[in-house]
Amino acid sequence: MPPGAASIDLRAARAICLLAAFAGAPAFPQSRPTPRFAPPNLSPAGVRALAANCAQCHGTEGHPAAGSTLAALAGRPRAELAARLAAFKAGTARATVMDQLAKGYSDEEIAALADYFASRGR
Amino acid sequence: MDTRRRRFLGMGAAGVLAAVPGFALAAPARPRGRVVVVGGGYGGATAAKYLRLLDPAIDVVLVEPNAAFVSCPLSNLVIGGFRGMDDITRPYGTLASAHGVRIVRDRASAIDAERRQVRLEHGEAIPFDRAIVAPGVDFLWDEMPALRDPAVRARAPIAWKAGPETAELRRRLEAMPDGGVLVIAVPETPFRCPPAPYERACQAAAYFRRAKPRAKILVVDANGDVAAEPALFKRAWAELYPGMVDYRPNSKAVDVDVATGTVKLELEDVKGDVLNVIPPMKAGSVADPFVTANGKWCEVDWLTYESRAAKGVHIVGDALFPGPVMPKSGHMANAQAKACAAAVAALLAGEAPNPAPTLTSTCYSFLSPELAVHVASVHKYDPAERTMKAVPGSGGVSPAMSAQEAAFGYEWARNIWADTLA
Repeated sequence: MPPGAASIDLRAARAICLLAAFAGAPAFPQSRPTPRFAPPNLSPAGVRALAANCAQCHGTEGHPAAGSTLAALAGRPRAELAARLAAFKAGTARATVMDQLAKGYSDEEIAALADYFASRGR
Repeated sequence: MDTRRRRFLGMGAAGVLAAVPGFALAAPARPRGRVVVVGGGYGGATAAKYLRLLDPAIDVVLVEPNAAFVSCPLSNLVIGGFRGMDDITRPYGTLASAHGVRIVRDRASAIDAERRQVRLEHGEAIPFDRAIVAPGVDFLWDEMPALRDPAVRARAPIAWKAGPETAELRRRLEAMPDGGVLVIAVPETPFRCPPAPYERACQAAAYFRRAKPRAKILVVDANGDVAAEPALFKRAWAELYPGMVDYRPNSKAVDVDVATGTVKLELEDVKGDVLNVIPPMKAGSVADPFVTANGKWCEVDWLTYESRAAKGVHIVGDALFPGPVMPKSGHMANAQAKACAAAVAALLAGEAPNPAPTLTSTCYSFLSPELAVHVASVHKYDPAERTMKAVPGSGGVSPAMSAQEAAFGYEWARNIWADTLA
């Protein structure tokens, strides 16, 4: 196989996945192998980068805009944050979007995020 | 010219910067070097802010031609008349006053990766140690020839970059007679914000239902089905706006004739009183030298966002060739920008970038001013395939439209604008 062939196949596969998703087909057909993700980076910089994904809705460093009805995360008790995220992940807490997003994080990542936001000033 | 003046001009980088308004010659070079960010949308503005948050020793210059940030998310509500342009416009000034970003109001004409400088349309070139390019999208005019002419676009505004065309499309809907037809032509995927054409049909329908109940909306789609949340959009059209939205899949627009109000499809012509033809898209033109995927999009190393075509040039946002099921959304551009900023800050400090980045996206679509749905996803890095992949079991769409999600959608906008700009 020429050196470029694998990457061309990969691109074609990506394009097909993309089209399938945009067309509303299941994103993960049964035949697709489970991705092998890099192990979580739980260093201080890694957790900070992980936490930055919460900021679009919950504000930079967990401080939402003044008067926002979306939850402030900064300075909330660690146990409360961890329990809430775990319940979203388990599907036992009622939610619109957090149940779907929490399933994207490992238990270790959830614990690290709870530590991170609990240690921010309110 | 006296000797002192000549020496001043010969000072290289510092002298060049002094020629750009707002650059004080006296400002000392920051120890970590300079990053020039090209483009102040969701990607570029976020990258500039987060670079300064991550390391105040980095000199960050943001090059952006517009005086203020105008959001694409919520802009369909302006087209429906439920929000004003002021509601989706936010100032850039806080990036300077609160975060020390130096803002150059100019358009980047070229990114010279060899000489490591960004050339400007009006000012002199700005040298960089690394550049972050967030050019958004431009249009493939060869695939929609008439719209290449700005005079034609004035009569058939595309409004796919929020700004004057958004307001112009709104004016045209207001001027349209009751019983008139709005034609929305959707390009083939991938394009910026997959749910947006269908949300636009909903917002126009919400306006027509109140003001012009005999008006019709014809959606001609180059794709085989609604490109995002198909069941939710079709249900909204049937239940909220019965008989108003005529959706036609596999109907690719190829040209426009504004004189006769005609949208030319591959097999037939359709006519309308207001034409909103959205051409196929590619990476923003300033990134043309970095396009590596099917002549349209830029591929990057997902750990650093460094271009596969040029060292020292990082790219984020809609211009990227995406990972599987990764949307071209403002939320995603903001997420990529933070991952990119962290990697650039690490590289400038001589450290390794994060080997396990995570990205999320949550896109709200307003089906009326009071009802919304979302699509969400979480993406992580697969080192063997060197791409970002959706985490199995995570993400998804709303079970049904709701007022609660509309309230969350408006709050999402306020908070992401603050996260991006304030």
